[in-house]
Amino acid sequence: MRFPKAKLTASFVALAGRIFPCLLALGGALLQAGDTPPERVPSLVEWTVDTTYAASSGDAFRGMLLARHCEHCHGAEGFSPQPATPNLAGMDQLAIWKQLQDFRTHKRQSRVMAPIAESLSGKSVADLVAYYSKLPVFGDRQDNRAFPASAPDLATKGVAWRLITFGDGERGIPPCQACHGPEAYRPGVPSLMTQNGEYIQKQLEAFADSSRANDINESMRTIAGLLTESERHALADYYGSGLGSQPGSASGGK
Amino acid sequence: MIPATRYYQIDQPLLHWLRGSNHVDPLALHVAGEFVESNLGSELQADGSVTVRMIAQQYLFVPHCILVPAGVPVHLRVTSADAVHSFAIEGTDTVVKVSPGNVSEAELQFPSAGQYKTACREFCGAGHYAMRSKVSVVPREQFPALRSGERGTCAIP
Repeated sequence: MRFPKAKLTASFVALAGRIFPCLLALGGALLQAGDTPPERVPSLVEWTVDTTYAASSGDAFRGMLLARHCEHCHGAEGFSPQPATPNLAGMDQLAIWKQLQDFRTHKRQSRVMAPIAESLSGKSVADLVAYYSKLPVFGDRQDNRAFPASAPDLATKGVAWRLITFGDGERGIPPCQACHGPEAYRPGVPSLMTQNGEYIQKQLEAFADSSRANDINESMRTIAGLLTESERHALADYYGSGLGSQPGSASGGK
Repeated sequence: MIPATRYYQIDQPLLHWLRGSNHVDPLALHVAGEFVESNLGSELQADGSVTVRMIAQQYLFVPHCILVPAGVPVHLRVTSADAVHSFAIEGTDTVVKVSPGNVSEAELQFPSAGQYKTACREFCGAGHYAMRSKVSVVPREQFPALRSGERGTCAIP
């Protein structure tokens, strides 16, 4: 932050001092390019101001027209009839946008979604995202949706509620609600309150064995790896039965 | 013209590059540079010392468990992806303040093998109290011989 006080000669010396090591490093990199493993990049999305603006400036009406193509799997109201397919209604714009970008760049693997995401233009992605984020999340008996599954037993609820509210400090597991809501959100993090349980469970397993690796800075891979398998099931059952949408529900577990 | 220029109007990345500063872009750590995820963990240097690279983020240290040999100088390089954190190691007086945009450095040396708990000592948000991780110090012989490009971390239990 300080203003540079160096004189012209000094800055030339500094410039040369920066350029020569760079040239050496470049030569070295070219020489040993064969045996060094390549960099792993989880996702090309950076949450800069420009990205956030591009992801949240879609036209929801055009998105509504485009969304006719998504209805078959993601449901007419953004709630999927199959429990293994994610619900998109009311999801944060940045969260859906990031996943579509990762499908396009093959950072998240999916045989179904990759060609669909590749066929969409940048504007269409923003429009779809704008539409789905504005859909209401309340129940509709006439809609064919898998969403609230039956509630798990009391012990499972207790395990899940404890992890969602407090995490596990001893093992270094942060509480789910500190990023996935309702307590706080981070950019690009999906809300789980109206998500299908089976989908959540599959994603947690995929994060745990790193077959899904598009989380920035290894955050979900680390957390899913720290959870036991029964805890991953408990969390999925808890969210999948709609209990997570009751804000501050201490009675959810007790 | 120069007196009329405010300090925040100067092209900071160019200055940082010219002066060789420890500047990193907190939003783009995962895309390129020193803190991409394949470069995190402990790296064995030619002189036998170990360089550890780590990211502190809400509410996690990545990698979650660090593997270092005992009795060897450890050069720690930490940066933050979002808020101000600090990295405190239990049983030692090491507390490294970590702020986004800068790389914090510390020189450590663990005299004996063992497990050290670590925690964040700077309130960083709703999950701050659960932001804990581990340093696993192994005898020098048990530390794996890492080839160039390889990074060591301990497996998550």
